[in-house]
Amino acid sequence: MNRRDLLKSLAAAATLPALTASDLVAQTTDFTPAQIATLRALAEVVLPSSLGPDGRDDAVRRFVTWVRGYKPGADRGHGYGNSQLSAPTGPSPAARYPTQFDGLDTAAKARGGATFAALTLVARRAVVEAALNDPQRVTQMPARPNGANLVADFMGLYFNGADARDVAYNAAIGRDTCRGLDDSDKAPRPLKAH
Amino acid sequence: MARHECDVLIVGGGITAAMVSEKLSELRPSWKIIVVEAGKRLFDFDRRFDYRQRNLDYGENQWPGDFVADQGGRGIISRSMAVGGSALHFGGVCNRFSEEDTRLRSLYGLATDWPIEWKDLEAHYCEAEKRIGVSGEPGPLKEDSRSQPYPMPAMTMTYNLIQLKSWAEKSGIPFWTTPQAKNTVDGYGGRSRCHRCNTCEVCPTGARYSPDWTYKQLLTKKKIELHDQTLVRKLVLDEHTPRVVAAQAVKEDGSDPNVEYRAKTFVVASGYCWSSHLLLLSANARFPRGLANTSDHVGRYMTGHLAHETRIDLDLKIYPGMNEQHSLISRQFFRCAPDRPFVRHDLRVWEAPSGGPRLRDANGTVLLGDDLVADWRTRIVRGSARVRGYFDVHPDKDSRLTLDPANKNKWGDPLPIIEHRVDAATEARQAATLQHFQELFAQLARANDGKVGRTSSLGYQDHPSGGCRMGADPSTSVVNPFGRTHDHDNLFVVGSPTQPTGGCTNATLTFVALALRSTTEVAKG
Repeated sequence: MNRRDLLKSLAAAATLPALTASDLVAQTTDFTPAQIATLRALAEVVLPSSLGPDGRDDAVRRFVTWVRGYKPGADRGHGYGNSQLSAPTGPSPAARYPTQFDGLDTAAKARGGATFAALTLVARRAVVEAALNDPQRVTQMPARPNGANLVADFMGLYFNGADARDVAYNAAIGRDTCRGLDDSDKAPRPLKAH
Repeated sequence: MARHECDVLIVGGGITAAMVSEKLSELRPSWKIIVVEAGKRLFDFDRRFDYRQRNLDYGENQWPGDFVADQGGRGIISRSMAVGGSALHFGGVCNRFSEEDTRLRSLYGLATDWPIEWKDLEAHYCEAEKRIGVSGEPGPLKEDSRSQPYPMPAMTMTYNLIQLKSWAEKSGIPFWTTPQAKNTVDGYGGRSRCHRCNTCEVCPTGARYSPDWTYKQLLTKKKIELHDQTLVRKLVLDEHTPRVVAAQAVKEDGSDPNVEYRAKTFVVASGYCWSSHLLLLSANARFPRGLANTSDHVGRYMTGHLAHETRIDLDLKIYPGMNEQHSLISRQFFRCAPDRPFVRHDLRVWEAPSGGPRLRDANGTVLLGDDLVADWRTRIVRGSARVRGYFDVHPDKDSRLTLDPANKNKWGDPLPIIEHRVDAATEARQAATLQHFQELFAQLARANDGKVGRTSSLGYQDHPSGGCRMGADPSTSVVNPFGRTHDHDNLFVVGSPTQPTGGCTNATLTFVALALRSTTEVAKG
């Protein structure tokens, strides 16, 4: 790979296309429009407000893209210093989500809403907290989505990611981005306020 | 049945074999050199961004298919088996050992001396650094003096490392950056400058050295033949002399169960595990314990080093993730005064996250959105350093690799078991070593209102080596100081298996230097 190709691939890897709400639905053949609406409503409750609507849409898109891109049975290699091969990836968590989407809507109806997305922010928060306590108390976000709890999976994918770390530190660290060495001896610049 | 003839057959396709074949092709350009590797060639460099991303996103193997499914074993055995070997994955750290490693018996009455002079090894370190492409800065200690400068300037210290160095040196211990097999300038070895992707175990830009670069260059210039997916099962002797005449192999895909290589010289460059394994598998009526094993030392003195590690919370603002692979090192403790209790170690400092996101606070209350971020921020006000020291441990004679008759591959060959065992002197000083580290961690913490976390200890010997140790005495070693086996004058074992002891820092550069030194001897025929 020559330098020009390298820079091209770096740029491609780093750039995410701008996204509209309709794009979001169009790209997600395995999530229904209603489910996408639920995820967007969920994002408003569980993600930092500083992300704004675009940032939340981006987080939803990442979750949907992640689920769509999951490959069951994929080679997970071998751990360092471990003579055993790691077990391949398990079944997609996607199969476990429809009933959980339904569960959020059912809980919403019990609170007088038509759907989870139709609830007020406060009511949605109560539903989310209940979903993290029942039927099983979730104590931590999984490192990667596993299907056990839709809310925790969605939160985990965002909060364990590089973007969330940047928000927490209010600094453009860009942990997972190929950034070059220049200026790395300086503190990362603060994030731009939305 | 395929039959191949060559001047030199190199068994194994990792970093050692890459360096040997490169140098040998320069010293003996007319020789036909064949490299045989059981695993695949993963030359799809243009897909490494995808592999890296799949690894980040899904935890998938960043080097897909870099193993042979039934070629494992028990013990600390890397499963990496592909052209490039374990060095496909290595983080690029290229520390040198120190002169003390080669004179343990003379200086301390411990383990054994290496049968080579430090000055000789130092010259081959310089050669290894040039061939791999190492960036670094010379350390401040006169004992670490170098005969040649590093080929490339040191990796930029991140803001985090600058802060951590400032803190760590308040303790009175000098630190500097680790040398790295990573380009800090464009074009060295045909590779690009580091783009700080933070995933050195799979470098998508090619800035970090990986042996596939060397193999591709050698193949392009038609300097070697590379036979991948070909497992060498046995070395065969001449009927009347102890010279090796052939290597018997199989194609891993089953397409040819009887591949034969005939060569004038055989070089086993299969790493710390599979080198001894092949010699043991090659037992015959005249050498019933295995080839090169008259001394019964093949598979013995398996070694490496152990580590103690902690986290220290500090009154520092750092930003974890700037370049997590890069670290500080102090080599001050490579030296141990002969009249003091023996402990030798490196000392490394990395940036580390001081706290991550959590779903519930200490009271169990669910945290969402801004509340979660606010909670996270309260726990990252102070910085955190990961501090670790690899320390010198010495192998017992019964620290062994043996064949496991109960565990065989699909070809019916018994697979290896490695059982590391330290010698009695090492065992006796374990408690004192731990106490030394705990005092050292406390000393570092005191320099900045720090708080030391729990000390954890590595549960296995890292950077393993040994099994075919070198020595001048054929009764206590497997190979001579150049890697030539005592029993078979046209059979060499090179690289990590020949190390008598495992040092107290990353070993890649050392076994590459040893292999380069051996290559000069191989070239003599």
